Amino acid sequence: MSQARTIWITLGLMFFLVVLPLALREDTNQMPNANARRLVIYTPHSESIRREFAEAFAEYWEKQHHEKVYIDWRSPGGTSEIRLVLDASYKAADEEKRPGIGADIFFGGGEPDFANQSKKGRLVPLKLFDKHPEWFGKDGAIPEIYTGEHLYAKDKTWISSCLSRFGVCYNPIRLKYLDLPEPKTWNELTNPKLYGMLALADPTKSGSVARAFELIVQAEMQKSLVDPALKDLPEKERLSRGWTNGLKVLQGLAANARYFADASTKIPLDIADGNAVAGMCVDYYGKAFANQVNKTEVRLKWIAPINGTTVSGDPIAILRGTSEPELAQAFVEYVLSPEGQALWNSAAGTPGGPKRRELYRPPVRRDTFPIGTGKPAPDSPYVFGQYQTYRPELTAASFGTLRRFVRVMCIDNHEELKAAWQAIIEAGMPADAIAALQDFSSLPYRDGGKGDPELDNPDPLVSAQRMSQLGIKFRENYKRAEALARAHTSKKP
Amino acid sequence: MNRRTAWIFLITLTAIMAVGFIYPAISVLKEAFINPHTGGFSMGYFSMVLTDPVYQEGIINALNLGLVSTLMAALIAVPLAVINNRYAFPGRKFLSLALLIPMILPPFIGAVGIKCILGTEGSLNGLLFNLGWMSPEHPRDWLAENRFLGIVLMNALHLYPILYLNAAASLAQVDPALEQAAANLGCSPSRRFFRITLPLILPGLFAGASLVFIWAFTELGVPLVFDFPRVAPVQILDGIKNLDRNPLPYALTGIVLVIAALVFLISKLVLGSSKHAAAPRPSLRSTPKPLPTWLGWACAILFAGITLIASLPHLGVIFLSVSNAWHGTILPSEFTLGHWQEALGSALVVPSIQNSLLYAGCASFAALIMGLTAAWVIVRSDLRMRHLLDTITMLPLAVPGLVMAFGYLALSQEGKPFAFLVGANGSPFLLLTLAYTIRRLPYVTRAAIAGLQQSDVMLEQAARSLGATVMSTFRRISLPLLAAHLAAGTILAFAFSMLEVSDSLILAQRAEHFPITKATFALLSSLGNGTQLAAALGVWSMVFLSVALIGAAILGGKRGGLSE
Repeated sequence: MSQARTIWITLGLMFFLVVLPLALREDTNQMPNANARRLVIYTPHSESIRREFAEAFAEYWEKQHHEKVYIDWRSPGGTSEIRLVLDASYKAADEEKRPGIGADIFFGGGEPDFANQSKKGRLVPLKLFDKHPEWFGKDGAIPEIYTGEHLYAKDKTWISSCLSRFGVCYNPIRLKYLDLPEPKTWNELTNPKLYGMLALADPTKSGSVARAFELIVQAEMQKSLVDPALKDLPEKERLSRGWTNGLKVLQGLAANARYFADASTKIPLDIADGNAVAGMCVDYYGKAFANQVNKTEVRLKWIAPINGTTVSGDPIAILRGTSEPELAQAFVEYVLSPEGQALWNSAAGTPGGPKRRELYRPPVRRDTFPIGTGKPAPDSPYVFGQYQTYRPELTAASFGTLRRFVRVMCIDNHEELKAAWQAIIEAGMPADAIAALQDFSSLPYRDGGKGDPELDNPDPLVSAQRMSQLGIKFRENYKRAEALARAHTSKKP
Repeated sequence: MNRRTAWIFLITLTAIMAVGFIYPAISVLKEAFINPHTGGFSMGYFSMVLTDPVYQEGIINALNLGLVSTLMAALIAVPLAVINNRYAFPGRKFLSLALLIPMILPPFIGAVGIKCILGTEGSLNGLLFNLGWMSPEHPRDWLAENRFLGIVLMNALHLYPILYLNAAASLAQVDPALEQAAANLGCSPSRRFFRITLPLILPGLFAGASLVFIWAFTELGVPLVFDFPRVAPVQILDGIKNLDRNPLPYALTGIVLVIAALVFLISKLVLGSSKHAAAPRPSLRSTPKPLPTWLGWACAILFAGITLIASLPHLGVIFLSVSNAWHGTILPSEFTLGHWQEALGSALVVPSIQNSLLYAGCASFAALIMGLTAAWVIVRSDLRMRHLLDTITMLPLAVPGLVMAFGYLALSQEGKPFAFLVGANGSPFLLLTLAYTIRRLPYVTRAAIAGLQQSDVMLEQAARSLGATVMSTFRRISLPLLAAHLAAGTILAFAFSMLEVSDSLILAQRAEHFPITKATFALLSSLGNGTQLAAALGVWSMVFLSVALIGAAILGGKRGGLSE
């Protein structure tokens, strides 16, 4: 082939490839307008949410103030990446004695993430609490606490904009092949038939996932407290039994797990594709994926496990040192207004609803109904469902301990746990091997639900050393359990 | 090269690496050396990592994966490069270029592409269901079985083009007269290969193998696809993203860096400097020999087969981008162009193409200049410090992307030393160009070193003694001899800059500055069909890069053994 011909063919193909997106390009406000005011928002929210809110707020603001606004979304990854970016940026700002980091709002994540930022003094009070006192209070649209979860901060530095629930998503076709019923509780996922087929979220990287794990333990503690069979025991003993049962459930889930993922989209995708049979994910991902894949057959379902999850808030807050305080306050107010709230759960294309795609998120306001229906959405967490009530006095003090313990017991030693569990299943579930596996004596329940002082030690080296010690202990337990189970198998005729 | 010039180059390059690589890396990793009580120096985290069995196993697994993957990639690449260099067979030109395509796997959705093929309801099982060899009720989970072997195979099939490019460039420089002389003296073909050809191409093989080793040793994505977390790079990522902010992952990063440097230096001592490699410019071009028809077709099938197997994840991504439903069948059961329309219609896409071309283009050019200069000092000077420069230019490959990205981020904040690299409108152009240049420098440096080792310095000395200036000698003698290697190195640097993830996600903050990888990440997060949208843009990137690289290989790599 001559050189000239090669050049022309290469350039021609490249020209075609560049022209293709130019020809298909849509005119949206995803790119900045030179005359627009700019609001910088850090968010882990999906592209669909970003786009709908950016367009809706820009239209609203222009109508009200005859002024263009451009939302400059900053999404360096998920909540953990945003946390790292905020840490690095505020560290530099503090060293340089600057008040802010050139960003205005933090939008989306879990209550623990926002509580943590607030504790570090990076959030400023929201004015909507004073401007719209009618939204709050006993009969207000936004309750302070629901299912034990705080939906806004006492110091008014953050407020939930919508709700979310961690639940179970599963593939009904694969469950049928395994001859298993559709699950209704977390405990059902510890069934040995699901060995290697669960997709779990990683509690070490997200405060919200860590809270979901805490709730699983707490559910067992709450059960023990009201169990008539245990009513004669002292409360501490009942709590202790519940704690151990909770750890058993967590370990059982981990033993069946294929992996612990920190990418929120991976779990429903793998379940719909049959690479896992069931797993944990938040309601809106479960529902959005289900809507996408359940076209010819039902491949994915999401449920809120009975008394196994709370309804938590997905907050929004204004960052310290914002250069657009007026616009930032207006954005938060818009998101919490009836118009902004309608975007969360109305059908795409309805007037006042999202333009392109349904967002599948329950709004935080209980007076918001999907547009045109006049009644609560069929799965409104304020109306339907059997939710657990979070009781912070039981486990909040051991939140950090539990997270670290799960890491040691379930994630760092996952290979050994799986090997032991497989050997136990093959041996027909011998009691001695199960007892060795479920030896939680290294982390007993402490009075008042306090955490392990070494695991929670502020000195990272002490905490890491304790984790290493516990890791070695669990490794030994798992190897012993495997050996016991193998001994049973070898005795079988 | 006179010592004074060599010193100037060495000091300049070391200073650039110190500022652009060591400073940002240390600004993050220093936490691992600080005693939290006293604020003084401590090796506590290091001893913790070295004594914890989980981390020990992670390091050993990473080393094994690096070594076995490199061996496997060499077993694929070297025979192919030799066959392509020696023999004519049907479709040789096209097939030798198509071999490069597997290295262009778009980020984020590459893993999904693999699952589309090897997942429990993927194409392979779909085929077996159709043939009746497997029951849909009990599908085989290929990705969960033999995970180590799976990762090695996937690494080798993804990375062999790096070795192939370097081997092909080296083979093109071998004077066929040497082999002909051996043949005339009765040397058998296999003996000829091991005694003549292999020693001559050893620098090129070392260049490719060292890149492949460090890549596989620090590979993150493939172990994650196979759900194999007990490997050092995954442990580092998990640790960095952990809510606890414990400095242990930084200590582990330090250990990984030391191991990478040691393995590199040891293998350099053993393999890197062939006494026989430097040869005069080939007196004649080797002419591929025609093969008997059946053997020619067998070679063509071998090339096509390896390309096809290595491209299975790519095929998965391509079909995913046009799929409306795809479960348990060989191909999607419903096709649509809607995802393409939606993805390419996004306002993010066109600017991201411009940005990526700008960032990657400038970075590749800067890496070319730096890599060539570094190679010159390393090969043509006798300074003892040149070995240090050689090692430093390789290490950016071994540092996790997130560590470097957060180092750059922290240093580019207002009032910090790199703040001047951020444009007035927040443009990360200079910052990303620097980041890409540093991280992709090893590809150019290694290729240039191999080229210089294979070209005889006496040719340059002869030109100088006949009165040619330094520049004229470089332009007329050295550059033509190095062109193949430089083309190979720059192609790799450009392609991998276009596909860079960590720096792109963290440092390109505003939508108008997004490179393609960040636009793909944004589309991936769309509710419902985000994966298909990302696949569509990923396919666009693959096709664009393939056209650009094959065009560049044809034009720039005429002497690179790729396209003559």
